[in-house]
Amino acid sequence: MPMYKVKPVSPADIKIDVPSCMYKSPNVHGHGMNCGEHALQNGEVDPSLKALEERQDEVLRRLYELKATVDGFAKTVTTPDADLDASTPSPGPAESVFKGTADLDSLLGKDLGALRDIVINANPARPPLSLLVLHALLCQRYQVLSSVHVHSSVSAVPPPLLSCLGPRHIDSYARQRFQLGFTLIWKDVSELQMKFSTQSMCPIEGEANVARFLFRLLGAEPQDPAAATQMDCWIDKAVFQLSEGGSKDRAAVLRSLNAALGRSPWLLGQEFSLADIVCACFVLRAGQTTSAPVNVQRWLKSCQNLGHFDCVYPFLQ
Amino acid sequence: VCFDFAKDRYGICPMVQSQQKLDRALVRVQDLTPEKAEQQIWVRARIHTSRAKGKQCFLVLRHQQFTVQALLAVGERASKQMVKFAANLTKESIIDVEAVVKKVEQKIESCSQQDVELHVERIFVISQSEARLPLQLEDAVRPEGEGDEEGRATVNQDTRLDNRVIDLRTTTSQAIFRLQSGVCQLFRDTLINKGFVEIQTPKIISAASEGGANVFTVSYFKTSAYLAQSPQLYKQMCICADFDKVFCVGPVFRAEDSNTHRHLTEFVGLDIEMAFNYHYHEVIDSITDTMVQIFKGLRDRFQTEIQTVNKQYPSEPFKFLEPTLRLEYKEAVAMLKAAGVEMGDEEDLSTPNEKLLGRLVKEKYDTDFYVLDKYPLAVRPFYTMPDPNNPKYSNSYDMFMRGEEILSGAQRIHDAQLLTERAMHHSIDLEKIKAYIDSFRYGAPPHAGGGIGLERVTMLYLGLHNVRQTSMFPRDPKRLTP
Repeated sequence: MPMYKVKPVSPADIKIDVPSCMYKSPNVHGHGMNCGEHALQNGEVDPSLKALEERQDEVLRRLYELKATVDGFAKTVTTPDADLDASTPSPGPAESVFKGTADLDSLLGKDLGALRDIVINANPARPPLSLLVLHALLCQRYQVLSSVHVHSSVSAVPPPLLSCLGPRHIDSYARQRFQLGFTLIWKDVSELQMKFSTQSMCPIEGEANVARFLFRLLGAEPQDPAAATQMDCWIDKAVFQLSEGGSKDRAAVLRSLNAALGRSPWLLGQEFSLADIVCACFVLRAGQTTSAPVNVQRWLKSCQNLGHFDCVYPFLQ
Repeated sequence: VCFDFAKDRYGICPMVQSQQKLDRALVRVQDLTPEKAEQQIWVRARIHTSRAKGKQCFLVLRHQQFTVQALLAVGERASKQMVKFAANLTKESIIDVEAVVKKVEQKIESCSQQDVELHVERIFVISQSEARLPLQLEDAVRPEGEGDEEGRATVNQDTRLDNRVIDLRTTTSQAIFRLQSGVCQLFRDTLINKGFVEIQTPKIISAASEGGANVFTVSYFKTSAYLAQSPQLYKQMCICADFDKVFCVGPVFRAEDSNTHRHLTEFVGLDIEMAFNYHYHEVIDSITDTMVQIFKGLRDRFQTEIQTVNKQYPSEPFKFLEPTLRLEYKEAVAMLKAAGVEMGDEEDLSTPNEKLLGRLVKEKYDTDFYVLDKYPLAVRPFYTMPDPNNPKYSNSYDMFMRGEEILSGAQRIHDAQLLTERAMHHSIDLEKIKAYIDSFRYGAPPHAGGGIGLERVTMLYLGLHNVRQTSMFPRDPKRLTP
């Protein structure tokens, strides 16, 4: 006899109706249906479908038009920046490539009636070439008071480094007439450093990071996050592989630069950006540009033709 | 009593009355280096310390900033009596010692000459010191903190100043005043190279030049006269006399009853005045370049002295920029406001605000020296030229070292009429300054200048905290001697 007995919960003989067909759909071709619903069979078109088709056509047409326009632009821009004649080197710094605006008050803090001075401490053994280019660009957008100082931790500095920001502005004695100050101090520091508002900002370290800050002041940051990320990616490549990496890393970067520049005139496509400035400066500083791949050399020539890189050439061996 | 076989090799010399001309070269302690090993030389120095240990006597001999260890042991050359004589010599006595220079394996950390010691053969006293000294030099050189920690004595400032002759013998004092001499020399050299002429101005004058009651009166035959508060008046007269660029080094007397760490009643003023072509910034550039040349000269040529001072008074090395940083007064006010200070736009800077500003500038630019330009007109003397575009400001400037003011200067008014107006505005008695105003009536070039205090500049360069440390025989409201 079993120890425990459990009363059955349900009777054993329930009848279950198992379906043989999972989904049922109405028979389109079945006879005896209402002919009025299927006027389509006679080649006439349902008005709602027709409207949909027409909308689709309209969208496609607009797309084709856009494509045609863009193709047209691409054709006119056989050399980058077609509104400037970049086929021959220009005599001086060309008109600024960047025409955006930036809200200085939100980036730098409220204007308290005093010169907003950006202080950059750099080691004279490693001049920050990309910052010199950005300085030239800033000077075209704003009234910038530039000064160069030598810190007492450094005993002497070669004369080209003293004049790297260009000639002293005539009005340099009236500091408050300027919108921005750019003070470059040659100092014995291990890492480049930027100070702005010591009360509310900690110092920014590293040439690439300072370049990103200065670029923001030009109001030309790519709005599209994908492009912005790509820009950062190129800058990081330049810093970590071109500058700090070994010869294999450098070669790899040159190859990827070459590949990207084969598809478009500038690294981010049709627009000149910070990625081009930083990468070009780091490539130039690494030297041996004559042995660089073809597209890279063409791109370097284009950079040179823009005129903003003129300040950099005195510092290349 | 044993026979003293060494009695000819030690003793107290008769007072040097120039009895004889000895053809003997005395080597300075500073020059006792391993190159001289095994040489037998004569040294004249003071006894810094002497310690007997059984049959040996250890002496430390000192000359100015430098000390060396000397050893006298009983043996073939020295008798017991000689060693005892050496051990009993009083500190600070001046002695002549003949000794052999010996290299040592282990560096002697406590002396400046760490690689050698002297093995004494002959020792004679030239000038004996009294046994009881008013202060111990070891104590006078001890850093403040160390004194408190180890329970050892340090010497307070008043005792030092009362016995200045002995206090000045310490290695630290020697270094400080050598460096100060360097400041003066660099000042002169730099300005002479820039085409300046050195002038001497009178210190006994008939009227108070700066105005105010801070003048000392002296009796002058049947009347009285004053001691000059600054050479201002005469510097400017020299410019009007076509000397173009002048400087003078001389005493300045201020009867200010201030007992602070940075005020003296008499100090050495280094003053500059210069005619310029079109803008007073030409003068600022000249002055700041002079200061930078002084700092560079000190940095490059006086490192020994700076290190010696730092041993007793540790401080951060002095940092500066070339060309000198120049900020405008409005910027300074903005920086202070951003740091939470409440002040009006035309208010003068209080001393705490000056110090705070110095710290803010140091944080941003990493410099201990900078110029503040375009002060408000209301807080400057009557002869300051107003700003051409904004009458509330002036063409005046101050220079700061480590957050403390060292120079106050400006473009001077060189037009007699404007000068008269400004003097009246400040309620100054025109009769008293008639001679001054007259000097501008016969054609005066535009000019500007400024002056620094030698003691204050030395103090701030070295990072010291009291100007009396850098004044040899300081004068303040409470001290008239030595």
